[in-house]
Amino acid sequence: MPFPLGRPLGVADDPEFQTDVLRSALRLLETASEPTIADFPREAPDGNGEGVWACSIAMPEPDVSDLESALRREVDLLTPWYEETRRRRGRTTIGMSGATPEQIDAVVSLVVACAQGEGFSDIPAAASEPNWIHRMPMLLRYAVEDLRAFYQEAVTSRPGTSPPSQHDMHTWIFEQTALGQALLQIGHRIAEVGDQPLLMMRGFIIPEGFWIDGPTWGQQTRNPGGAQGLSHATAYLAGERP
Amino acid sequence: MVRLSDLHPEEAHHMRNMGERFAQMPLDDTPFVTPPPLAEARIALITSAGLHRRDDRPFRFGDQGYRVIPNDVNPADLVQTQVSVNFDRTHYQRDVNVVLPLDRMRELARAGEIGAVSEWHYSVLGSNPNPYLLKDAAADLAQRMRDSGVDCAMLTPV
Repeated sequence: MPFPLGRPLGVADDPEFQTDVLRSALRLLETASEPTIADFPREAPDGNGEGVWACSIAMPEPDVSDLESALRREVDLLTPWYEETRRRRGRTTIGMSGATPEQIDAVVSLVVACAQGEGFSDIPAAASEPNWIHRMPMLLRYAVEDLRAFYQEAVTSRPGTSPPSQHDMHTWIFEQTALGQALLQIGHRIAEVGDQPLLMMRGFIIPEGFWIDGPTWGQQTRNPGGAQGLSHATAYLAGERP
Repeated sequence: MVRLSDLHPEEAHHMRNMGERFAQMPLDDTPFVTPPPLAEARIALITSAGLHRRDDRPFRFGDQGYRVIPNDVNPADLVQTQVSVNFDRTHYQRDVNVVLPLDRMRELARAGEIGAVSEWHYSVLGSNPNPYLLKDAAADLAQRMRDSGVDCAMLTPV
């Protein structure tokens, strides 16, 4: 199935295509007589190619001199469209951090505090309201994803339009929004700290190709040293202090 | 599986390295079984999307367990604590079937193309630097599916 990562059934809101993918896989159970790999012959009918999507909501140029104000202004602009999407879809994917959609301001506070150098060990006082379900520093990763979900659900609110490609969405966020600027500032704060597991988390926040100083993971290996190294990195990122 | 040529070169390099490591992992044999005819088979879904119910334990990086998702789950009750930034989430945000095709499976069952849909489906966290550590969970999961009459599992990799 030659589809982008994260889309094993190919495309949203296309039952015919999704069923074709499922049938093709299931029928191997009736035809294969040994472990078998078969290619699915159709491309996902995306509608959009690379570089053709444009955000239909007029957004101001991100003012990096006052990042918090710029970020809150974007959230205010996007809120009616986020709420429209949530009402129409009957669901939202916000909640990875434990914050509710109504607590998006606290999510912004957390992201801004980390971007402005409050560190990655403790939850900033300005963001203490939600019932977070992770500890720092990994909480930041899920807060970022909740904020991205807010943006993405807002700008894909128009019915009947194809969602942007993943690359176009990344490009919009990192090149045209204050959110992207905040994430890049977090990347620099992580580089200043220099801890290897934190660099790993930068790789969870900033995709390859959008970090200006080389690989987003830094020069380290992505395999943190087998079971022992993984255990250490996991504990560190989960906020388990020795 | 995405084409490596469609990935950023750093990501493609990482994927190749992972593939080479996986190829060296010890596998005792290559099991193959012939399932019952599809029209009689009970099928479960297993996704590596890191999906779980909102009131369930969130996945954490390197998580070695799995979560249970009931077949009648309301998609609004699902959340995804997948750590990677390299997955396209916009389609999942519109339609959960693109990673967990619950509606499609029910339709195939109603049409008689498959025997039944399992009462339970399962989720693990992809982006695991050492998936071999999931071996115990996988064995437990296989036994639970067997005990509940599941004949086949459809894996949806994310």
